[in-house]
Amino acid sequence: MGALHTSVPRWPAEIPAVDPAGRAVALLAFGAAGKRLLTAWRAAVPERTPVWSHVVDRADDDSLGLLARQVAEARVGWRLMLAGPEVDVLAARSVAIGLGVLDAEIRMVVTGAARKRVFCPHCRGTTETAAPVAAEVPCAGCGRRLHVYGHVSRRLGAYLGFMADAEEVA
Amino acid sequence: MTTALPGTAERVARFPFPFAADTYRYSTNVEPARRTVPTAAGSWGDRVLDVDAAYAAELELRREVLQRDPTRCSQLPHMRVAAWDALMTLLPELAATYPGAMSLQQRGDRWLWRNDLIGSSTSFVPGDEDSLPGGPLRLLGSQIQEDVVLLDQREGSLWADAGLVTFAADWSMGFDVGMRFLEVHGPVPRVHEAGVVQRAEQFLMRLQPGEQYRRTNWTMTVDRRLDSSTETYPEWGRDRRLVVDDPALPDRLHLRVEVQHLLRLGVSNAVCFLIRTYLLPLRELATVPEWRRRFAAVLAELPDDMADYKGLTLYRGAAVDWLTAG
Amino acid sequence: MTAVLSAPPAAATEEGGLLLTVAGVEEAAPGIRTVTLRRPGGGLLPAYPPGSHLVLSCGDRRNAYSLTGDGMAAPEYRISVLLCPDGDGGSAFVHALQVGDAVVAAGPRSAFAPVSTARHHLLVAGGIGVTPMLSHARAAARWGRSFELFYGHRPGAGAHRAELADVCGPRLRAFEQAAGLLDALGAALADQPMGTHVYVCGPAPLMAFVEETAAGLGWPGDRVHAERFSAADLDPGEPFVARLARSGGRVPVPAGVSLLAALEAAGVAVPSMCRQGVCGECRLTVTAGRPLHRDLYLSPPEHASGDAVMCCVSRSLDDELELDL
Repeated sequence: MGALHTSVPRWPAEIPAVDPAGRAVALLAFGAAGKRLLTAWRAAVPERTPVWSHVVDRADDDSLGLLARQVAEARVGWRLMLAGPEVDVLAARSVAIGLGVLDAEIRMVVTGAARKRVFCPHCRGTTETAAPVAAEVPCAGCGRRLHVYGHVSRRLGAYLGFMADAEEVA
Repeated sequence: MTTALPGTAERVARFPFPFAADTYRYSTNVEPARRTVPTAAGSWGDRVLDVDAAYAAELELRREVLQRDPTRCSQLPHMRVAAWDALMTLLPELAATYPGAMSLQQRGDRWLWRNDLIGSSTSFVPGDEDSLPGGPLRLLGSQIQEDVVLLDQREGSLWADAGLVTFAADWSMGFDVGMRFLEVHGPVPRVHEAGVVQRAEQFLMRLQPGEQYRRTNWTMTVDRRLDSSTETYPEWGRDRRLVVDDPALPDRLHLRVEVQHLLRLGVSNAVCFLIRTYLLPLRELATVPEWRRRFAAVLAELPDDMADYKGLTLYRGAAVDWLTAG
Repeated sequence: MTAVLSAPPAAATEEGGLLLTVAGVEEAAPGIRTVTLRRPGGGLLPAYPPGSHLVLSCGDRRNAYSLTGDGMAAPEYRISVLLCPDGDGGSAFVHALQVGDAVVAAGPRSAFAPVSTARHHLLVAGGIGVTPMLSHARAAARWGRSFELFYGHRPGAGAHRAELADVCGPRLRAFEQAAGLLDALGAALADQPMGTHVYVCGPAPLMAFVEETAAGLGWPGDRVHAERFSAADLDPGEPFVARLARSGGRVPVPAGVSLLAALEAAGVAVPSMCRQGVCGECRLTVTAGRPLHRDLYLSPPEHASGDAVMCCVSRSLDDELELDL
């Protein structure tokens, strides 16, 4: 991935190819657009390479648990490919990295970046929103208006939000 | 507030005034640790860990902050060795710097730490989490005024994977933990185009066991508020506006200087980043004519994007006016 | 025991390096000498990450040797050195050391540390390449890391076998035949849980086997860590010419002569220390031409950018290499 200097993911303009070096491949897609990419990847996996592939609606406890179990069974040489909305791809990458998977073993493509999770450092709550970076969103935890900041935690899979009007005099 | 604070004379004499010229830009401004720097008012820099008259008050403040928000101490599981390494490097460092008041002694597997300055003593077995409730970083943070970040080195990068930071200048350790070094600095303007952060990371990755360097950074803070973290921004944000028309501006506005030490820990190979925060109100800064003139020049010249990132935009005009009016 | 620390155990090394005394000399295996070094007045030596080198002044040159301890600050350093009759004289110097001799060393240099996020550490040693692995195994045991060690050596010539058996228990798999080692390694590399990292040190063919087998099985480079223990392993290379951009000089570098040695012979002073591509001291800025990197010091991105060269081991891909000298 280029642009390592920002924490905001810059997704590749081109759809990444299946890593020919991989000895086994796991494909995880979120939503209909993700499914189309997964189908194309599946067709491109070399014939004798084992493939694990799942299409799910979103990154939730069920689908992330499924991924975690797959990582636990995997042997080195395994590759992970993720396709879907940014919010889901970030959540899945966070699970994989937490289990010892390296950036070099993950390829991702994002089918949309509208939805995002915003972490509120004031109450430590997380809000899901379609607001873009630099817009404002009410915190689902404490109700403060949060400024969506261009700073993303790979661990939380979330953008930082901070109180938008903290410097205003009430 | 009745907490004993260092008197003006000591605060000014030991203040690490960071400006060597009338303009300021980000640079990879590292130099070897422990070298004394003379200033117009005194000197600083002969030690890595600095205990001053605010010692007990700042440790008590840190205890309160951690009690309210334990996420100020964040440690990913693989940083266990690094955390013990930091403790077992810095407690002896502290004892060596203040031998009359502190000591670390080994009795078999156990180590005894005694600190007469705050009347504390504790014992633990290095590497045994059960022997030290709260863990090594919490003990370390209860003995030094410095904040601590531990950087892991792997995959050709440094990673901010552990830290105890209660005195952050407008950032959040709890949010940033687990990021690459370059990601942590993502929001800082200019430094990436200039390659400053990349060069700093390359430099840090080449530090050899036991090597110790330092740099300074600065911003401004309204009131003597060490905890100006993102977490507490709702509490202090409006002061940036309120201070502008406050007649007490020269007493409320502080130049905030961080002396940051960069130590390669021997056992774990982690880079230990120590951040010590010094706050000096403009009125005290102005008692040194050279500092008054120079800081006014730096503030007036600072490009808008840098001033904005540092949160100075609302009040820097007022600060320059006061500094140049004298 | 009661010990009071009077100085930080891991403080920066003294300017000019460490003055040490030989406190012990023993035969670790035929042709392999283990030397124990202490401070003349006693006291702790700086801690170091597993896999670190001690850069020892050996007469008129400095050689890097792997430290074999667990890396905790301790009163002594140990190195084990194989006598190489065809080497550059460093090993003969070490083998001639007697108890009581004084030696000068620079502080530990780390370029082969364990990866803290690894779920499992697969250690592979061949011959005298066991020295950094002994350090890794000791540290892994101390800190409770999951690991195993594959160790191949000549029959009867396994340095540190007994200590390794103590440290590793059933996690040690020793081999006296290369074929057995390679078969077992091939099987191990094919079946490691995600999160495993492999570390190898030994003769060039063993290193190549591990690197190529791992790559063939889909291991990404970030999981494979190789320590080339001797510059003697490097081939003599092709001749080339170093062009000095600032002074305008031209220095021919014949095959078998390092760029550093050629520059020195031509009277060009270059700071240097380990002469094995480890310490980072002899870095030069490249202004034109493509370096052939053979060092262990620069990072992969630095190798790729091609604007610096460690002149003690690296050479040139092109007929001419222009340096900022």
